[in-house]
Amino acid sequence: MGVAEDAHNARILGSGDQTIVLAHGFGTDQSVWKHLIPHLVDEYRVIVYDNMGAGTTNPDYFDFERYTTLEGYAYDVIAILEELEVQSCIYVGHSVSAMIGVIASITRPDLFTKLVTISASPRYLNDPEYFGGFEQEEVHKLLEAMKSNYKAWCSGFAPLVVGGDMESAVVQEFSRTLFNMRPDIALIVAQTIFFSDVRPLLQHVTVPCHIIQSMKDLAVPVVVSEFLHQNIGSETIVEVMCTDGHLPQLSSPDVVVPVILRHIRNNIAA
Amino acid sequence: MRAALSTIQQTLTSDAANVLNLSIAEAARRNHGQTTPLHVAATLLASPTGFLRQACIRSHPNSSHPLQCRALELCFSVALERLPTAQNVSAQATEPPISNALMAALKRAQANQRRGCPEQQQQPLLAVKVELEQLIISILDDPSVSRVMREASFSSPAVKSTIEQSMNSSTTRSNRQHQINASNVNFGANFAGIVPRIPSNPGLLSSPVGHISAVPNRNLYLNPRLQQGGAAQASTQKGEEVKRVLEIMARTKKKNPVLVGDTELESVVKELLRKIENQELGNDEILKNAQIISMDKDFLSDKNQIPVKIKELGGVIDSKIGAGGVILDLGNLKWLVEQPASSGLSQQQQMISEIGRAAIAEMANLLTRFEGGSKDNRLWLIGTATCETYLRCQVYHSTMENDLDLQAVPIASKSPLPGMFPRLGTETISCNPIESLNPLKATPTPTPTPLPALTRRVSENLDTTPQTAFCSLCSENYEKELAKLAAIKKSFSEAKQDATKTSLPQWLRNVELDSSDAKTTDQSLGKGQGSHSKHKTQELQKKWKDACLNLHPNFHQNKRSEKLAMPTLSMTSFLNPNLLSRPSFQPKLQTMKPIGETFQLNTTPVAIQQLAERENSRPGSPVQTELVLGRKKTDSELEEAPENEAKDFLSCISSEPHTKLFDKFADKLDADTYKKLLKGLMERAWWQAEAASSIASAITRCRLGNGKRRGGGSRGDIWLLFTGPDRVGKNKMASVLADQICGANPISICLGTRRNDGDLDMKFRGRTAIDRITEAIRRDPVSVILLEDIDEADMLVRGSIKRAIERGRLIDSHGREVSLGNAIFVLTGDWSTPDPELLRNGHFVDETKLASTASGNWQLGLVLRDKSSKRRANWLHEEHGSVKSRKEMGSGLSLDLNLAASNDHDDYRTDGSNNSSDLTIHQEDDRGLANRPFSISSVPQELVNIVDDTILFKPVESTFVTQEIKKTMSIKFAMTVDDKLSLEVEDDVVEKILGGLWHDRTSLEKWIENVLAPSFDQLKARLPFGDMSSLVARLVIESDSIDQGKSKTNGDWLPSIIIV
Repeated sequence: MGVAEDAHNARILGSGDQTIVLAHGFGTDQSVWKHLIPHLVDEYRVIVYDNMGAGTTNPDYFDFERYTTLEGYAYDVIAILEELEVQSCIYVGHSVSAMIGVIASITRPDLFTKLVTISASPRYLNDPEYFGGFEQEEVHKLLEAMKSNYKAWCSGFAPLVVGGDMESAVVQEFSRTLFNMRPDIALIVAQTIFFSDVRPLLQHVTVPCHIIQSMKDLAVPVVVSEFLHQNIGSETIVEVMCTDGHLPQLSSPDVVVPVILRHIRNNIAA
Repeated sequence: MRAALSTIQQTLTSDAANVLNLSIAEAARRNHGQTTPLHVAATLLASPTGFLRQACIRSHPNSSHPLQCRALELCFSVALERLPTAQNVSAQATEPPISNALMAALKRAQANQRRGCPEQQQQPLLAVKVELEQLIISILDDPSVSRVMREASFSSPAVKSTIEQSMNSSTTRSNRQHQINASNVNFGANFAGIVPRIPSNPGLLSSPVGHISAVPNRNLYLNPRLQQGGAAQASTQKGEEVKRVLEIMARTKKKNPVLVGDTELESVVKELLRKIENQELGNDEILKNAQIISMDKDFLSDKNQIPVKIKELGGVIDSKIGAGGVILDLGNLKWLVEQPASSGLSQQQQMISEIGRAAIAEMANLLTRFEGGSKDNRLWLIGTATCETYLRCQVYHSTMENDLDLQAVPIASKSPLPGMFPRLGTETISCNPIESLNPLKATPTPTPTPLPALTRRVSENLDTTPQTAFCSLCSENYEKELAKLAAIKKSFSEAKQDATKTSLPQWLRNVELDSSDAKTTDQSLGKGQGSHSKHKTQELQKKWKDACLNLHPNFHQNKRSEKLAMPTLSMTSFLNPNLLSRPSFQPKLQTMKPIGETFQLNTTPVAIQQLAERENSRPGSPVQTELVLGRKKTDSELEEAPENEAKDFLSCISSEPHTKLFDKFADKLDADTYKKLLKGLMERAWWQAEAASSIASAITRCRLGNGKRRGGGSRGDIWLLFTGPDRVGKNKMASVLADQICGANPISICLGTRRNDGDLDMKFRGRTAIDRITEAIRRDPVSVILLEDIDEADMLVRGSIKRAIERGRLIDSHGREVSLGNAIFVLTGDWSTPDPELLRNGHFVDETKLASTASGNWQLGLVLRDKSSKRRANWLHEEHGSVKSRKEMGSGLSLDLNLAASNDHDDYRTDGSNNSSDLTIHQEDDRGLANRPFSISSVPQELVNIVDDTILFKPVESTFVTQEIKKTMSIKFAMTVDDKLSLEVEDDVVEKILGGLWHDRTSLEKWIENVLAPSFDQLKARLPFGDMSSLVARLVIESDSIDQGKSKTNGDWLPSIIIV
């Protein structure tokens, strides 16, 4: 077992000619894919892993310098793929991992045959000519809150992001994985994510992108998916689902799983 | 500044310092204020044999044209020209200070250098000297440098990785992983404005050789922290591994180690052999003088020769063994079990395993031959294998372990980290000796999987609770949803079963247990999950309770309806929870309808019910008007005469003013469309009243934009799925749809193996069904396309249709795409499972039989005769004079007199045989509509989910149909002739008529109107005056002897004239 495979808790499930990589987003770990995986393992070789910094990874491995940019994460992805000797894969990335996938695919286009992005955003902050959903001010407040009391922040953040009430199982699940992160790491990760700007990179994407987006998502306004559609250099297709929240694959798997499966199975028609 | 510079130069190797000095000089020469990374890069490039230059050439995707490098140099010099010159001329004397960017780059280089040498970490900072390579890498990381490089269409990350590789390959010659990297590197030449960073890049690569060789899986992109850990661990671990191997070899029994593991096997063996060769082992070791013979690649190249070669080896060993033993390095044992990649034949495999066996036998011979030697002069074997290979060895050569005196030595993964998960898939066989030896790799114990059946039982148990809480209708719906939930669970638990086989991780199991019940599962995990599923059930219960209160206030006032049996059949299409949650009219209408029916069942004998249903189908029947008027319903009305039942069920709907959804619908509803459609449908396939109204409302709903949303946008195409065995009913419905919506015949395309029409077949020969569909759409985007027998369609066709449903476009076999436009697609399929018992009892009538009765040459005659006597006279056998050609199908047929209706025998035969035993007619049973044991099973859920609506066609009860026909005819007779005279219709006659109706495209009403009525008229005219009470008119089958030579237009099965 390789080092990266190990440190990222990478798992290979199922078997098939085609490899699918499932990458989770901020505040979650690979368990976010639990509803999807059973539908894939019969047909595909599925690789799941935890991003460095997720609660399930060893905090000692979290390099505070490496992970100040999304590239660090992208290299992790490539490292895992190399270690597992994956020649090509379909990459399904949620939230920040979608952008990590975008970067990784620019770095190593040979490794990726398709990107499926769920709730992806290249830029969270608003610009005069771009609507990312967050004002600088808001993000700073958010990070401040994170710094002062992580637990309280988690319990406030989770329902907002998931789009459900505190009691619902999904919110509980998300706050669990969110709170699993070491607070200082979570802060750095959140900072990196919120201040990342992948927009200039989008045009360099050469791998077809399937953009899946919730109708209502606190973190990613629907217009962002259109922005991605317009700006990604490769072929793209957008599907906006009638779901609510930033983690649709967790909160409404009955809607999302078929959609994801469809995007995995089918390619964008020429 | 000067002080700072000297400090910096101390941290650099002389090469690097030299470069820096040159750069500073260059900056000074150009009169620049600062020395920047650009200067350094330019300096690096300037030396013609420079490292950077070579790396650039190698990295460039368009191979190494020297001009490219020239361009790069030019770009750099242009960039340097652009830099601001120093303001202060006097500063020229001094060296331009190092810019912040360059300082940062130098610090990066230093950090990387330090990181790369773990053994140096304890040393003081200054002891680490930055090598030139590190400096270059850091410089390449600088944004300004990478920008300039980009201008020259070089990619700094690519160059960087090339340098890293060359650094690596200079230190490790056999690093396979990196060769792969090198061949794979394909950076986008225009890597974007952000400098991609490997913030702490693998400086380790330049560290001493000893460590590098220990870690074969060096990964360029790896988090350096991981790499360090891995390297350090590996080195210590390897020592231990070697020690273990030596211990084994020192034994007398099982002394031949086979290293089993996934990584680093070779390196351990190498290390071991190196130690032996270099005589690094202590004097007490028995191996100290051992000679090593390797079965190298050469040896293994010709597999067939292996046994022979081993035999020859015996001699070699003989000559060497005296010196202190011989170690025979077998290398990777996979040659024993694996065939070369070129051969895939099992025969070959057989041969290989034969060779392997022979080789093992030879080696065993060798072993025994030298076994007798002195203690010091022994023969050892050493080999490596992956777990898989070793397992295969054990399978193919079961005695190998004993014969060769082998001992498996599991080599653990480098870093036994906490929470490490064993590699999945290779260790599933629990009786594997490796595992017992290696505690690290213990397979997670599989949890018992609950059987799907148990899950099902659970849901059944839960069903019982809510039934008192809401009315039977809603409880039915509730149960269906619950069943669906259970089905989802089931699918999950099934998936789980598979999943456990492949040993899914713990968290994944948890979620699957989610979907099963606590009692049936592992206790430690099940509790929370069970309550979760219970919770889901409760949610569902609550949902339906609310829905019921809203929908059926009557129920809650009047519990009577609770007892009514619900028609199980009509429900399937409304069970989709998506449908229920969507604002649409359909579910409301449908859920109410069964109530009407049940009341009807309760209060009226079946015969009247039939009459009533027939009335529904008549023009201007209350059904259509009531829908628009929307009368208020009262309880008493429900018990009114059965003729009102139609009103009742419709008024049920309107009795819910609080359902906004309906109001919304009613506003928008194009009443005319709905009415017309329903009327048409009822007329033509009156035996499928329920289906007719379902279709009508589904179409209306879809046309209003309330159809299922597929692919996000609103689309004009409508997909209906007709299920059930009633082929004829489905076809008739489709043709009515086509007639009403686009005024044409439906385009019927058979997806199954059947062919309905000879000439169609001819026309479409060589084209796929999908092509025909696309062509049809292209020809007329507004059409009704009947896709028959989707259940028999092959995977391909089904797949493309599914995609079409989802995407709204269809791709033909040439790859051309066509938009589905506003077409209505009717998918038909059977999917029914006839009750086997009823089948045995003869309740089911084969359609073939029905068809054959109708297909013979038959003619109807109207005979008047005495009630008591037998057939009296032939004088009535006169041929009817007028030809009735029915134009409604636009077939424009012209008929000869006396022509039998259906003599197209051949045509029919194709049809009949194709349809064999498909359409089943279900005999009337006393249980009535509600309890009919008929189920549509196994309609693929995926299909149901994506179509706009699924309409179920029940099997047709023949008794009901016959009675209906008889009744209609006698009423007509009574009306036209005389009510004193009774009409007798033999059952076989009715059967014939029915058969005709089945295949003809006309409706009963029309036929009676056009054919029967005139004959009645004629009869009336001929009736003898006098006492007619003794007379009875009989509709009989006339001879089958009518001229067969005349052909008939296809599609007319009923006699168009009746001999009076």
